[in-house]
Amino acid sequence: MAYLFQPDYVRYVCSCGSVKPVSKIYFCRHCLKVRCGYCVCHEVDSHYCSNCMENLPSPEVRLKKNKCSNCFECPCCFQTLSTRAAPAPVRAGGNPSVEDTKSLAKPPPKKVYYLSCSFCRWTSRDAGIPDQFVATGGWPEQENPHLARIVALLEYHKILASRERQQSERKKFHPKRTYMQFEKFAMSSVMVRKRAGLCPLPQSQQSDYPQPAVASEEVEELSPDIFTQPLDITKITTLEQRLKHPDVQAEEINQLRPQHKQFLMKRSQRCRVCEHNVCKPEYSPQSIKFKIQLAAFYHIPEVRIVTCEPLRIGQTSELLLKLCNPTQHQTQIMLFPLSTSITPTTVTAAGTKEVDRENMQLGCESPNLLPSLVRQITVTEDPKPLKLSPQAEIILPESILILPPRDDAAEYDDTGDTHNFQDDPKLVVWRKGNKAVIRLLVKPNEDEQIEEGKEITVGFVMQYGYVNTIATLEHKEPQKLDLKIKLFLSIGKLVGST
Amino acid sequence: MEPQDIYYNKAEYVETASGNKVSRQTVLCGSQNIVLHGKVIVQSDAIIRGDLANVRTGRYCIISKNVVIRPPFKKFSKGVAFFPLQMGDHVFVGERAVVNAAVVGSYVHIGKDALIGRRCILKDCCFIEDGAVVPPETVVPSFTRFAGNPATCVEDLPECTLDLMLDYTKNYYQHFLPARV
Amino acid sequence: MDSAVSRRSNIKIAVGAIVCEESTLKGHITIGSRTVVHPRASIIAEAGPIIIGEGNIVEEMAVIANRLPAGAPEPASTPVMIIGNFNVFETDSRCEALKVGDNNILEMKASVSREVELTNGCVVGAACSLTEPETVSENTIIFGSQCQRREMNDKPYPQVGQIDYLTRVFPNYHHLRKPNMKIVKEPAI
Repeated sequence: MAYLFQPDYVRYVCSCGSVKPVSKIYFCRHCLKVRCGYCVCHEVDSHYCSNCMENLPSPEVRLKKNKCSNCFECPCCFQTLSTRAAPAPVRAGGNPSVEDTKSLAKPPPKKVYYLSCSFCRWTSRDAGIPDQFVATGGWPEQENPHLARIVALLEYHKILASRERQQSERKKFHPKRTYMQFEKFAMSSVMVRKRAGLCPLPQSQQSDYPQPAVASEEVEELSPDIFTQPLDITKITTLEQRLKHPDVQAEEINQLRPQHKQFLMKRSQRCRVCEHNVCKPEYSPQSIKFKIQLAAFYHIPEVRIVTCEPLRIGQTSELLLKLCNPTQHQTQIMLFPLSTSITPTTVTAAGTKEVDRENMQLGCESPNLLPSLVRQITVTEDPKPLKLSPQAEIILPESILILPPRDDAAEYDDTGDTHNFQDDPKLVVWRKGNKAVIRLLVKPNEDEQIEEGKEITVGFVMQYGYVNTIATLEHKEPQKLDLKIKLFLSIGKLVGST
Repeated sequence: MEPQDIYYNKAEYVETASGNKVSRQTVLCGSQNIVLHGKVIVQSDAIIRGDLANVRTGRYCIISKNVVIRPPFKKFSKGVAFFPLQMGDHVFVGERAVVNAAVVGSYVHIGKDALIGRRCILKDCCFIEDGAVVPPETVVPSFTRFAGNPATCVEDLPECTLDLMLDYTKNYYQHFLPARV
Repeated sequence: MDSAVSRRSNIKIAVGAIVCEESTLKGHITIGSRTVVHPRASIIAEAGPIIIGEGNIVEEMAVIANRLPAGAPEPASTPVMIIGNFNVFETDSRCEALKVGDNNILEMKASVSREVELTNGCVVGAACSLTEPETVSENTIIFGSQCQRREMNDKPYPQVGQIDYLTRVFPNYHHLRKPNMKIVKEPAI
């Protein structure tokens, strides 16, 4: 709820060692581990224009250089330009460059269109771009002054790429051919060995290599005007405006040209370990729904701070936490000190058993979901070391807190709670539906040099029951697991000492 | 942090059958053209300009103090027309914000002192920060956070934004209680 | 009750002006023909009279004030605030400038202080404020968080269409203050 505009008071530790609020982490159902934006693969699903909401397949996007062909951005303030209609000029007046000779020859059309920025009121007329007679399209494209050079270089690199591909293909399919060839011409083994490490024999394509760029000493002379002309800062482009179009870098405001709007994209996130998606949005840019949504917010109990009494060194204060079970299954929560190992456990008849999900994963399921060409090589990093250390001791309860499943219909139900839990009255303060408020005690550390006004953090490990509904070869039935996650809470500032 | 209870003066607010809580200290011009779709809170000194064109809000919208909701106009060759203003469900509008948009989607957060220009379209699940100035006719796409003057996209929103906003507005409504005398 | 007080305090409204009852008017105010004052707009003539010309639009929450800065000495002559024709004061804007020409636009939450003079065709962008004494040259636009300036090619047009629409619609929804000035006087600019 308030995650969008409040500081992150409660943070969860991701498997990779990052510390993030629950809204920004994912829960991979297949690895049963927490993932975050830092340790998942981000993949582009679709490109779309944020103004006209058109989405295009990626080859077309590449062709259009990631820019929308219909929507323009103001070169002055980078906002979207809108098309304005104006009555066609009948008489020659105002800006002479606007006047089109054709319109004078023909009976004048009813309307002309120009681009205008509603924020800074820049118009295409400012730039001397002639008005158009159709509402969409037809705007002159600004050509890159270095286009020829860029095309030449691109062509050359395409040739290089295709040559490289040919070579690798040749190696793959006919690894012995080369030697056969040499045998045909009766090349001695000595020569073969000599040739082996060298580059391929010079070919005709080598001549395509474009002229290398040459640095020149000559610099255009500074016009003497610069010392005499009074400077009008309103007519000169800003650094930002120039850097927005690095190819032209216009110096004066009226040299600026409207720019095509850049596409935005929709991303999906993939777990790097098991290569399952943890989040996949629907294709349409208008949609806010997801095909796969494994955000931790829907799978891991949420912890919120309700209140915390003023903190004083060496004195215990009361900390109220609200826990919420977002899943469709009942969960049981236990809190442990930070030093507890966070390996998941499962409760069997024989007792508690540790589950090594990572090995199990390899044994039973083929993780190869994508064809090998598309697949990225999995990059898994070792977890980052955790730098946070709590500045207060937290007294944890020994009893278990049971939270019933989420029930969306309960909201309309005024009959009250039918659940009858044997709660520890010292621990549970309040309970409603899938939520409960618990009372804990915190005591800021005495030994450390903590000054007044310092933000106090506490941490603990939360163990929660999770029901894994994914049927695997081993487990056809939903499997009950106890998972653990580390949490850090910022509980407020130190008020003083006793 | 858990939201705190907000107490209002019972005499000041009118509660309708559909659960709308509207302060008497508001200016609802052309009230016949204003539709609040239930469980909407309109706080004191807010102005809703139903006289210019229709204004419709969804459920669980929170219109804070001194907010101005004003249908946008468009100039045509033959005069001016005001367009209706549509607002989705679970929208929060912060204090002193001015909303001149054509469409405000669902699960949208508009910060304090934010200015939404004429005929803007705010898509579902977007966030306008405090004091942001969204220029006229801007389309704010889903899952983006806009800030600054002029407002630009500064961040992507988390995938669970929908439920975060839903939770926030519902909580706000539940914690918006009449003061006990 | 408010209007009764204001009528006594010399408010002149020209025929053709649309001034809502729900607006706040204080002191000596002259409002020209075809000017539209929205509900909850405030025109406060504290330090001296305010003369508003023709075809202006003063939107809700906008404040036009002729007010002495706090702690300033009493001036020798009463300062008169003169606003020209076809200016737009958008929602929550604040204008204390003593001289405003024609065709200016103060966008939402824009603010112009007393020592500023707006000439003609200026646009003070949303949330921009002018606090230092200056004369803003014609067709200047001020925009963005840095209050960037530029000269506009397209000057703001008089909002005739909007005024016509509002003039037609307002009597259906609002109680209006009755015009009490028959002769449409050209405001002295």
